[in-house]
Formats: sequence, C-alpha cells, structure tokens
Amino acid sequence: MTLNRDLRLQIAQMVKKSGEGHIPSSYSIVDLIEHLYSQVLRVDAKNPTGAERDYFILSKGHGCGALYAVLHKFGFLSDQDIEDYSTSKGILGGHPDMTTVPGVEASTGSLGHGFPTAVGTALGLRIQGRSNRTFALLGDGECHEGTVWESANVAANLKLGNLCAVVDWNGSAAQLMPIDDLPQKWRAFGWEVHEIDGHCAEDIRIAFAKLSFERDGQPKAVVARTIKGKGVSFIEGHGRWHHRVPNEDEMSLIIKELAA
Amino acid sequence: MKKLRQEFADTMLEVGPQDPRLVVMVGDISHGILQPFAAACPNRYYNIGICEPTIVNMAAGLNKTGLIPVIHTIAPFITERAYEQIKLDLGYQMLSTNIVSVGGAFDYAQLGCSHHCYTDVSLISHLKRGVVVLPGSPAEFNKLFKEVYANGMINYFRLPEHAHGIEFKPEDIRFGKGICVREGRDATIAVIGTQLKSALAAVNDLAKLGISAEVLYFHTIKPFDAELIRVSVMKTRRFLTVEELSAHDGLFNLCLRACLGIEHVNAGQIAITDFVHGYGNYDELCNRVGMCPDGIKRAILDLIG
Repeated sequence: MTLNRDLRLQIAQMVKKSGEGHIPSSYSIVDLIEHLYSQVLRVDAKNPTGAERDYFILSKGHGCGALYAVLHKFGFLSDQDIEDYSTSKGILGGHPDMTTVPGVEASTGSLGHGFPTAVGTALGLRIQGRSNRTFALLGDGECHEGTVWESANVAANLKLGNLCAVVDWNGSAAQLMPIDDLPQKWRAFGWEVHEIDGHCAEDIRIAFAKLSFERDGQPKAVVARTIKGKGVSFIEGHGRWHHRVPNEDEMSLIIKELAA
Repeated sequence: MKKLRQEFADTMLEVGPQDPRLVVMVGDISHGILQPFAAACPNRYYNIGICEPTIVNMAAGLNKTGLIPVIHTIAPFITERAYEQIKLDLGYQMLSTNIVSVGGAFDYAQLGCSHHCYTDVSLISHLKRGVVVLPGSPAEFNKLFKEVYANGMINYFRLPEHAHGIEFKPEDIRFGKGICVREGRDATIAVIGTQLKSALAAVNDLAKLGISAEVLYFHTIKPFDAELIRVSVMKTRRFLTVEELSAHDGLFNLCLRACLGIEHVNAGQIAITDFVHGYGNYDELCNRVGMCPDGIKRAILDLIG
C-alpha cells in the first residue's frame, strides 16, 4: 500500500501547474518527511524559528516538492503559497529558500551543502547546552559529494549525538558508482546506522522511535531504501522522469493510480 | 612589531571571554598560539581539520543557532576552494561569519603557486554582504576586528605575514576609512598591506628627484573610501595602485570607479597578472612583479612622463 497518496498528488499537481519540479525525487522522500513532521520533530508552525525547535534541513534541495507538501499539511505554508509555487508571486521555487519560506532551515540546491551546515547547527546547539536536535535528509547521489564525507567524519569525531542524517537510498548513486554499500560507508565513518524500508510506515516508525539523542554520542544515520517515483508505476525508477513535467494524459494516469 | 597571526590569537583571547557567542574554528593551523583562547573559552575552540568547505558550512550552521563564528586557515583554501560555500551558505542564506586568513598573495612564497592566493579580496567583494579588511599591522587588526566582528556580515580579514612596520595612532584607524600617510602634489600612490613600506621608500627616492608623491593607505577595501582617493587625484591627476591582488579586479578598479568624471587623469597599476611561478622568498617574488621601491619609482616616473 502506498503511503501519503494525498501528498503525492499535491506534488504532481504543483509540478503540472507550474511546469517545474522533480517528482520522482520528491516521491522517494515524502513518506520519511511526513513521518518526521508528524511524529518526530519538535516544531511549531505558529513559531517556525522558535528557540526550542528541532532543525530539519533538506540537503537534497531538488526534492523540495515533498517538503512543501508536508509543510503545507502541518500549517507552515498556506494554500496560496502552494498555488503560487514556482511563480514570481510566490515564495516557493524549484529549490527551497530559507530566507523566505517558513520552516525551511537551509537554502539548498547545490548538493553537499545542507548536510555540512547541519553538522554546524548540531555543534552550535551543543556549545550552548541546548537540547534541540538536528536532522538532515540527503540523497544517495548527493553522497558522491566530498563534503558529505568531510562533514560525516567531523561529526563523528566531535561526537555530535544530537545529529541525525536520513539518507534517501533510492539507487541514483549506483547508476554511476555501483560500489554502493551506504550503511557500511556510514558505519566506517563512525555513525550509528539504521537501515530501513523508506516506504514502510512500521519500519520508519520503529527506526526513529529507537533513536536516542545524547549530548556527546554517536551521530545517527537512518539509511532508507527507497524507490524513486514511488507510488506511480510509470514514474518509478530512473530516467526521463527525473525532471519531467506530466502532460494532460500523464496527469490523468497519475491521478488514477494514486486513487486506486 | 608583533606578527599579525599572533595578534589574531591575542585578539581572540581578548574578545572571547567578553562575548560568549564567539567560536573559533581552524583548519589545522595556528593551533599552538590559540591554546590560551581555548583554555579561556572552553568548548569554543575547534581544530576541525583539513576540510575547508565543511568549515565554512559549519560556520553557517553555528551562526544559524546564534553564535558568531571565526574561521581561520590559509587564504586559497578557505576563499577559493570553499567559495561556493561562502557564496551560498553565507551569502545566499544571509548568514554571517568572520574569515581570517593567512597566506594571501605570495606570502607563502617558498611553497609555490599552490599556496598563493590573488583572488580572495575580489571573491569576497563580489558578495553584497561581504566586508574586506586588510590589516597591515597588529593594531589595525585588533581595532577593526573588534569594530566589525558582530555586524552580521561576511567579514574577511587577510593577515599578511609581514607587517608594514608603521604604527598608526588608534584614532587614525577607522573602519572604511583610508589613511593619508604622506601628502604630495605630483602623483598619488594608493597602496594596501605590506606594500606601504615599499611605497614610502619609493616616495623618499622620488623626493630626491624633485617629485612629490602622496601615499594613501587602505586597510579596508570594502567598504572603500572613494572620497579619499578622489580628492587626492583631483589634486595630482595621476595615481598608481600597488596591490598584492589580481590585476583583474582589486584596488585599481576601485580607484578608477572613484575617479570617474575627473578629466585628464593618468593611472597605473602594479599588481599580479598571472601565477608567479618559481620559488624564492617574499621579497624576491615581490621584485619579480615590480612590487618594490624601485618598481614603484619607475612606475611613477612613467606616469609623469
């Protein structure tokens, strides 16, 4: 059973209407982000920059359709914000902008930037003795970037136990670099690793429920096996749908599949 | 005169205990001289390692939580290698940090071109919220750092290996304001950093030839004291810039822009036009690109004709 069909439909509608967006990259992470905002993150839509909030950074910024849909669901964004997606009237674009969008903690897009920023955020919170936690969601393709491993190395050595990386292991990286054992790589860098099915509600719930955040401890990596485009059969996988806008017929099929 | 790098460590030790927001991260340099700061300010000193892009990103993250980062390492690695992080994670995200470099231009002369850096000042100047300070003496760094470090901007301080040796009165060191070090009437020499020493030596030689040159010293490049150079050039109608920067974007451009509309002006530039290949000490590399008293004297004589 596909989770979050309503969010998936909203993402497709935003892309169809505006002519911009990455549907498959959003579909592979939308279940994870929905769970974080509904069950894990201590955030308040009425006070998105509150001092006590947890920080969530979407490092793979091109998956922002999923983040926007979730932020809308939980009251950070208005119907009008979604309506104006990717237009000059709006605040939402093809990559997120933290200076304008409530709930967005980093202006990502260039891969390999958000996660290292999250390492800094986690360190800054610890220096100040604050109990907020930092979560960063990054893609497996993004893990090609050297800065991911620079900062993973730093975080483990600084014992940032208040930091959690969520890795969207949707197979993009292995298309080019088939040596792709991401759990092993994160373990080798000193992280506590949990490998899950990123589209299974029970797997996701258990993984995040058992994470224990300490001031000085191992940072955590939830490596989630996902499917790019999950939920719509002809979008799933790799290829032309990465940055494609559905036409009228395709949109009808998306609606039909998500309603089934 | 005290080394600029030591003054950096001393200033951190002065400011850190007074401001609990100040956090220093280094890229495995100056570790020894920063130990007094580390002891005085527990949990606020980190030798992160040799990973400059990550250090910039981490500074952005620290600043997001309300801290004021100071990051410190060798100029080409922090400004050129990590420029995308500076541009996006500090610039685009409207976050703030203080970048304190050593090894600008060819200060690490004997280590070769991999350790040279000519574009740092230009790169940071391109950022709307970029501030560029080039202190040439310990007193300049101490005063200017304290004045700007908490201003919410992207502050870049390039510390030269060799101080220029001139002791300015504290009241004469003002952020964003140049200093008229020597008055003259026939030509203006605009200079930054260590080259002030060479400019003053050249002025003495020129005086023996009956040529009176004015020397303007700029420790702040952005914001730039355009009025100072403009007023001087309206008097002399000639200026020469002497800058340990890329010739393609630096002090010369700033002076030209400041002098737009002034008629009959001759201008010259001594700067770095390409990699300075080969090895040698700092003075030898300066000589190779004409940054020496004799080079400045010849350039002024060319301007006067």
